[in-house]
Amino acid sequence: MKYLTDYSNIFTRYDLNIEVARQAARKVSKDELLQKVADSVVRGDDEESAKLTKEALQKKSPMDVINEGLIPGMNEVSRLWDEGVYFLPQVILASDAMNAGIALCEEAMGKAMDKKGKVVTHTAEGDIHDIGQVIVNALLNANGFEVINLGADVPVDKVVEACRVNNPVMVTGTALMTTTMTAFPKIASQLKRLGLNIPFVCGGGAVSEEYVTSFELGIWGKEANQAPGMAEDALSGDNWQAMRGKWNG
Amino acid sequence: MKFSSEMAYKSADEMMFGTAKKPVKTKRGLVFGGGHVIPEIVPHPRPGSEKTMKSLLREYERANGDALERCVIVGHPQLLIENEHIFQMTHNPKWGGEIAAQTAKQMDDYLQKYGLKAAYRATPADLRKPDMVDMRDSDYTREVIESFAECAKYADVVSIESMGGKEIFDHAIIRNDIAGLLFGQAVLGGIDMEWMWNQIVAIAKKYNCIAGGDTNCAEANTAMFMAGGFLSKDVPHTLAALSRAICASRTIVAYECGATGPTKDCAYEDPIIKSVTGVPISCEGKTSACAHADLCGNVIAAVTDVWSNEAVEYHDMFGGTTTAVFTEILGYDVAAMNASIDLGYQKEFQACLVNSDKYRGCHGFMLSPDNAWQIGKALVDNNESLYSRGKAAAMKCGELMLGDPKLKLSVFEKESLEGYMKDMKALPDKEADFIDMCLKKYAKVKGFQPKAYGL
Repeated sequence: MKYLTDYSNIFTRYDLNIEVARQAARKVSKDELLQKVADSVVRGDDEESAKLTKEALQKKSPMDVINEGLIPGMNEVSRLWDEGVYFLPQVILASDAMNAGIALCEEAMGKAMDKKGKVVTHTAEGDIHDIGQVIVNALLNANGFEVINLGADVPVDKVVEACRVNNPVMVTGTALMTTTMTAFPKIASQLKRLGLNIPFVCGGGAVSEEYVTSFELGIWGKEANQAPGMAEDALSGDNWQAMRGKWNG
Repeated sequence: MKFSSEMAYKSADEMMFGTAKKPVKTKRGLVFGGGHVIPEIVPHPRPGSEKTMKSLLREYERANGDALERCVIVGHPQLLIENEHIFQMTHNPKWGGEIAAQTAKQMDDYLQKYGLKAAYRATPADLRKPDMVDMRDSDYTREVIESFAECAKYADVVSIESMGGKEIFDHAIIRNDIAGLLFGQAVLGGIDMEWMWNQIVAIAKKYNCIAGGDTNCAEANTAMFMAGGFLSKDVPHTLAALSRAICASRTIVAYECGATGPTKDCAYEDPIIKSVTGVPISCEGKTSACAHADLCGNVIAAVTDVWSNEAVEYHDMFGGTTTAVFTEILGYDVAAMNASIDLGYQKEFQACLVNSDKYRGCHGFMLSPDNAWQIGKALVDNNESLYSRGKAAAMKCGELMLGDPKLKLSVFEKESLEGYMKDMKALPDKEADFIDMCLKKYAKVKGFQPKAYGL
């Protein structure tokens, strides 16, 4: 077969044009051991993170290990991702590493650490395509939110009940199919009826902005990585109208 | 089940669009892989139409009917219509059967009235989410099997997008874990497919229906779409390409169990499958932009026998409804391909398709006929187990990507790929050892039930 020697008239590799220069993670702790804890999170090494956390807990309080090692490490990972240096798997592995350390700190404290707020997440009834939700869960968790994970193929009533019981700052819905996303306005309607005006972020697959913004409470989530920012807005008191105005349209 | 041990094609040069070593004929006279390419349209119902069987029947009557009508309006001689079941059609198996019966009647009418040769592919939805149900013993499992029986009575072809290994795959793909992809896709996926496809083939035989094929849509396509285009930072393209090579080990199981093709359109691994099995394949590329973006819009057509659009929701457009419009587009695409065949220009046409995308990205590169054939060869040369052939296919794919300087890789993509190659080399040689390792490593993955795979 004949091959071209120059493909510049056929396609443009924009990804190579915008490749971000490699950069090292920044120093985030003044304490040498806690910096090592943070570094293990940045590397996404959960075994090393657990080992170093155990070591740090001999000398530091659990909250110091969390606030000066584990969380600053995760924040550094978020920065590297935001700047295009890291890919999603590196963020997920870092989240696993942070969680391994936090679990040990919580064990030492004898209680769970305080989270920023609760977010209920689910994938629509009749839909089993939940990898988007899995990513949303991991990112919310990595950013300090408590995730009430209802899983996939979740009936409308179960989502509404979880919102009633947990009073989350935000609820999310994922759907791949247009014929399953029809559950979303039903959920929104029931939440409204109960007086629960919780911002309801819907996204995934064929879920469109036009559809989600056609019902009250609905905010369209274009990408999973928007979830932490949206949850921060909800936590700060933005209502669904303000969030829709910021993220959609 | 006997693993494939030889290539259907002696070289990639022999592979051409429109012709397969093992053509398949339908009851209305379509021949897949018989010398010309056939268009395949996949209508999807609008939200709200799924409420009742009556409303869904009406939706498909219009959507499928518009496609048939447009063929007559613009003179397309042949058409395959696929209905990928929405949840309700498989959850209520009678619904899928009624829609198949209705469409078969429409096709009979068009054949009688205009001489249009059409065929219907029914694709029940695999409702079995591995972390939520027992793959072999659940209500959803029974509904899927019953759905095949209902549809096979009327459909020309039945297919599925099976879900085996999805729980491990989802865990692994977002953790850069190549061992998890091999375990989820090649091993668990292959085991589940053998269990499922022996039943599908038996049902198809009983009703004189064609057992089409399977696709790793749930996994390799997830990887490909997460890798995305040139702006995505979710998954490295090199990992998505390895995932595609690995999945050939499980997708081929359908044909080893007796499926004959036409294969499932969204199985981008199909050029590899064709190189080994010789069954007619269905592919999708630029004409599936209505459903998703990919980086292999033309090259994926290079050896295809059926040309599809993945799925388009039924709506009005300026030029008619979406199913009519996309049928027209697909039909003209294959008219150009078929004209090249009849003029003797097919090699030149194929070269244009390949040059369009072979070096656009990793998927186009590995699915280019020459590389797809080499990956297929690695698969059959290492056919001791689902694991060994999946790993060999991935290693070959990696070697090809690293070995061709025309395929440009970013520093991150290249380093990632070198890491996966190193990880694969460090894995056990024997499948039994690999499974033992994985059963321990993934014991805590949410919902993983080894016994659902007979492990």
